[in-house]
Amino acid sequence: MALVQQIQPQRDPGARSGFARRVTGSPALQLVGRRLLTAIPVLLGVTFLTFVVMNLIPGNPAQLILGINASPQAVAKLDAQLGLNHPFWDRYWIWLDGLLHGNLGIAYSNQQSVNSIIAQYLPITCWLLLYALVGALVLGILVAVLAARKPNGIFDRLSLAVSMIGLSFAPYALALCAGWLFAVKLGWFHIIDNSLGNDPFTAIKNLTLPALSIGFGLFAVYSRLLRADIIEQMEREDYIVTAKAKGVSPWRVLVVHATKNSLFTLITLVALNLGTLIGAVAIIEPIFSLPGIGAELINAININDLPLVEGIVVVFALVTVAGNLLADLLYTVLDPRIRYGRSAS
Amino acid sequence: MAAQLPDMTATVLPPQPSLPSLVSGRRLRWQKISRALRLWVPAFILLAMLFICFVWPYVYTIPPGDTGSILDSSLPPFSPGHWLGTDANGVDIFSMLIYGGQVSFEISLAVTAIGILIGGILGLTAGYFGSWTDSVLSRVFDVLIAFPALVLVLAVAEVLGPSEMHLIWALCAFSIPAEARVFRGATMVVRQSPYIAAARLSGTGNWKIIFKHVLPNVIPGIVTFSLLGIGIIVILEGAVDFLGLGIQIPQPSWGAMIAKGQNVLTATPQYVLIPSIVLLIFVMALNLLGDALRERWGVR
Repeated sequence: MALVQQIQPQRDPGARSGFARRVTGSPALQLVGRRLLTAIPVLLGVTFLTFVVMNLIPGNPAQLILGINASPQAVAKLDAQLGLNHPFWDRYWIWLDGLLHGNLGIAYSNQQSVNSIIAQYLPITCWLLLYALVGALVLGILVAVLAARKPNGIFDRLSLAVSMIGLSFAPYALALCAGWLFAVKLGWFHIIDNSLGNDPFTAIKNLTLPALSIGFGLFAVYSRLLRADIIEQMEREDYIVTAKAKGVSPWRVLVVHATKNSLFTLITLVALNLGTLIGAVAIIEPIFSLPGIGAELINAININDLPLVEGIVVVFALVTVAGNLLADLLYTVLDPRIRYGRSAS
Repeated sequence: MAAQLPDMTATVLPPQPSLPSLVSGRRLRWQKISRALRLWVPAFILLAMLFICFVWPYVYTIPPGDTGSILDSSLPPFSPGHWLGTDANGVDIFSMLIYGGQVSFEISLAVTAIGILIGGILGLTAGYFGSWTDSVLSRVFDVLIAFPALVLVLAVAEVLGPSEMHLIWALCAFSIPAEARVFRGATMVVRQSPYIAAARLSGTGNWKIIFKHVLPNVIPGIVTFSLLGIGIIVILEGAVDFLGLGIQIPQPSWGAMIAKGQNVLTATPQYVLIPSIVLLIFVMALNLLGDALRERWGVR
């Protein structure tokens, strides 16, 4: 008691600066700060690259909108209206200024604001990706744990073979092959009619084939990674030996001790791979005529609609950068060995 | 370089743990055989596909891959003279697969080679020198990787106009940063090793260290990654063809064949299934070969 009273007055005046020092000195927060700062030039670079690339595409958007028979005067007028007569750097600056204010501009093709177009098409893409991700994760974890229980067993070999197919199947080829098998041959799904419908059951049914096309590859990657990681943990880590030695049941060692630790690696991979899903969405959505943001992107590229392409790419780039950031943070937060400055392996 | 590979890897990688003595002789022999099979079966499949695509058309006469007689249109598989059948225009499907395969091989190998060359120099530089060189180069790779590869490829293909050469340049935007990242990571690991410190202390120049000591030791990782990379590029190239912005219509490509078959999926599914399965086998052989080499060299 006396000791506490002695210490207390000493700590009080410095408490604030001590707290501030603890916050700023925390390795995790320093990492967050550093990563947030490096994300800014990456995002700027992506927006600039999109702007340059889309500006290089031949063809005048005003001409494209008005058709080839439009008079030069009308084209020039629309040019001015769309702000296309400004120099390149001015246009980039105006667009960037809008972006910072949350305004992605007006689409050339239908004169709607890009924000509203993205808001209209984004939900269906989000549902599709969520379906694919959750399905791939649940199945991947389940298969990985069962396979790792007995490495080189019959289930393990089977799961490796299936995931090798998943790893090697091009998503568009898988979409059509699965479409042929499940929709044409077995008649379980429709390929053509893909409105989400009104009830959740129809929505899930209509999203199943697209989600399968995207999710099968993810499942393969996740299950292989998790299986390898669990097996390695079971063979190498001291805490597994300890758990086994003190008589924890084999299932409990596998699920609670090894899998729980391996999941950190998996979560990091999921976050890291968010960006690569975009390519898949852009190809899969048009195949199943899903009105999502990926189909809209392909459409916008084809009609050279610069603001719309830029808006969608920025959204995708944001997701990718956020995913990378999230991966780093999760790694730091979940694995104390990294948080305190020691590397994991 | 290939001849030097085994002893180079032996210097950096720990030897495989010897098998436990409990394993019986027969079991041991079987493990040896299956290990060899895992390497040679995919290698043989790739070599066979390479042979069929590039040598077969010169040894045997095959029908042209871009035109056909309308009299032979829509033949089913196993028809005389067209063992995989013909499409609606009478073009032989087997020929289309061969000529499409040539394009896929050429593009994926060229793109990977350019990626290794340019990405390798950038990645080695970033990983070896570290500090601001690494920071600047890494940010550039981050931008290119954060940028959806497909958008870039589509836009570049559209800017340059569709042709095989332009498609190669467009796909390099994907392969260069990816290879650079792998080179950088591997270099950073190798840089920690004592022999690099020894080389530095003995006054060896930086570039000599990079090419004589770092490069040979990062090669196993690069080879296994690049095999996977070739598969990804073949799939990506097929995607561009599938969307109609790559190889143009009279010239056959696997992606375009799949895209064309999409419209008649119900009536004639073989137009989709045949190229899809060929693409699957090709990419799977690459992945299996990469896995087998990784196991053999102990690369992680």
